[in-house]
Amino acid sequence: MTESIDRETYSAARVRALESLLIEKGIITSETVDKVVEFFEKDMGPFNGARIVAKAWIDPEFKQKLLEDTPSAIASMNFPRGMAGAEGEHMKAVENTPEVYNLIVCTMCSCYPWPVLGLPPYWFKDPTFRARAIREPRKVLQEFGLDVPDSTEIRVWDTSAQIRWFVLPERPTGTEDWTEEQLAAIVTPEAMQGAAKVVVPA
Amino acid sequence: MKLQHYIGGIEGLAPSSFEKRVFVQPWEKRIFGIHVAMMGLSNHLDAVKTVPTRFKSFWTWGHLRKGAEGMNPFDYFKYRYYEKWLGGISGFFVESGYVSKEELDAKTTAYLEKPDAPLPQGGEPAIDNQVIEYLRIGDSPKCEVDIQPKFKVGDVVTVGNPPPTEHCKLPGYLRTKKGVIDVVYPGAYNYYFPTGDGVGDPMPIYNVKFDSHEIWGNLTEPKTWIYVQIFEAYLEDPA
Repeated sequence: MTESIDRETYSAARVRALESLLIEKGIITSETVDKVVEFFEKDMGPFNGARIVAKAWIDPEFKQKLLEDTPSAIASMNFPRGMAGAEGEHMKAVENTPEVYNLIVCTMCSCYPWPVLGLPPYWFKDPTFRARAIREPRKVLQEFGLDVPDSTEIRVWDTSAQIRWFVLPERPTGTEDWTEEQLAAIVTPEAMQGAAKVVVPA
Repeated sequence: MKLQHYIGGIEGLAPSSFEKRVFVQPWEKRIFGIHVAMMGLSNHLDAVKTVPTRFKSFWTWGHLRKGAEGMNPFDYFKYRYYEKWLGGISGFFVESGYVSKEELDAKTTAYLEKPDAPLPQGGEPAIDNQVIEYLRIGDSPKCEVDIQPKFKVGDVVTVGNPPPTEHCKLPGYLRTKKGVIDVVYPGAYNYYFPTGDGVGDPMPIYNVKFDSHEIWGNLTEPKTWIYVQIFEAYLEDPA
C-alpha cells in the first residue's frame, strides 16, 4: 500500500479483488455475499428482538418464560426458521428494573446475539467501549446520555464464551394502551444492549 | 498473553464512540459476507461434505479470533475492526494456497484503477444454500456427554492463571480473581479447537459473578457486578 492511496480506497479494492478471486476459483458464488447481507436485512436483526421485548411487556407469562428459558420462549413465537441459528444457539435475556440495570459487553471480541439483535454496531466493537464498560459502566452510559443512579445495581455481562445475552428493557410510562406492534416500533438495538432506555417519541 | 486479552478495565482512555451503524464503509459488508461464507462452508460441518465448493478448510470464529489476538498489539489497535478481518482473511487465503499474493495484488491494482469493474458471474447455487442454512441452524458448541461439573451454585472459585497462549477465552482482568458460581449450565461445551491453555474438549461452563471492587478496588463504581461465563478449565477449586 502506498501512502498516496487512501486507506479506505485501498481496502475497498482489496476486498473486491478477494471476492472476485473467490468467485473465479469456485469457493463462493457471485451471489453469496449479497445473500448473506440480505439475510441480515430481512431475517436476522433487531426487528426480531423488538418483537420479543414488546411481547414480554404485554404478556407476563411470556416474560417469565423468556427470563427462565429464553430459547423456548423465542421458539414459541412466530419467527422465520433460524431464530436459534448462528450466534443464537444459546441466548439469555436479562431484565432491567428500577433496581437493576444490565449492560452487555464483549471484552475479548464482539460476540452478539445475531438472531435477535442482528450485527453488532460500531460502538459495541470499539476497543475503548470494551475496555471501559467493564470497569466504569455508569460513566460510559452517562456519556451515551443515560444516568444510572448509584442506588441502582449495575450488572455488566461480559459475553466471552458461549452464551449470548440481551437486555429486556423497562417499558416506558405512557405506553399503557399501546399495541404490541406500536411497542415494538420504539424498541431500539441500543436499549436491548443496555446502552439506552426505551423512550416514547416526542 | 497479549495486550488484546487484557483490554477490559484499561485506564486513561477517551470517551467511547457511539457510532450506531454496523458498517461505516460499504466494503466492510463484503468482508463480513466472505467470513460468514467461510464459516458456513467450513470442513468440520457435516452438511458441507456434499457442497460443490472448492473451499476445503476448517474456518470458524476461533480462527478469526486467533488471527486478531495473535497480531502485534500495536497493529491490533491501529487497524479498525473490519480492517483486521480483511488482513486476516486475505492472509489466510494466500497462506493456504487458494490465491497467490501476486494475483491478489494484481486484482487489487485493477480494482483501484476501475473501482466499478464488475465481479465475475456464476457459481453453484448449492454453495449459497449451505451458507444460509448455516446461518439458520448455527454450529452449537453444546455436547451431549456425561460430565459432572466440579462446582455448584454458590461455590467461591478462583480464576486460574494459565500460561499465555496466542488465543484464549479467559479475559485477562479476571485472572487470579475470586468469584461466585451463579449458574451451572447443563451439559458440556467444546471450543472449535484446543487453544493450548485448557479449552477445546467438552467441559462444563459456568456463569460466575464478580464484585467489581474485588477486581479494581476503588477504581470502579458503586454497586457494580460483573457476570462472565467461564470454561471449567479456567477455574480452580473453591477457595
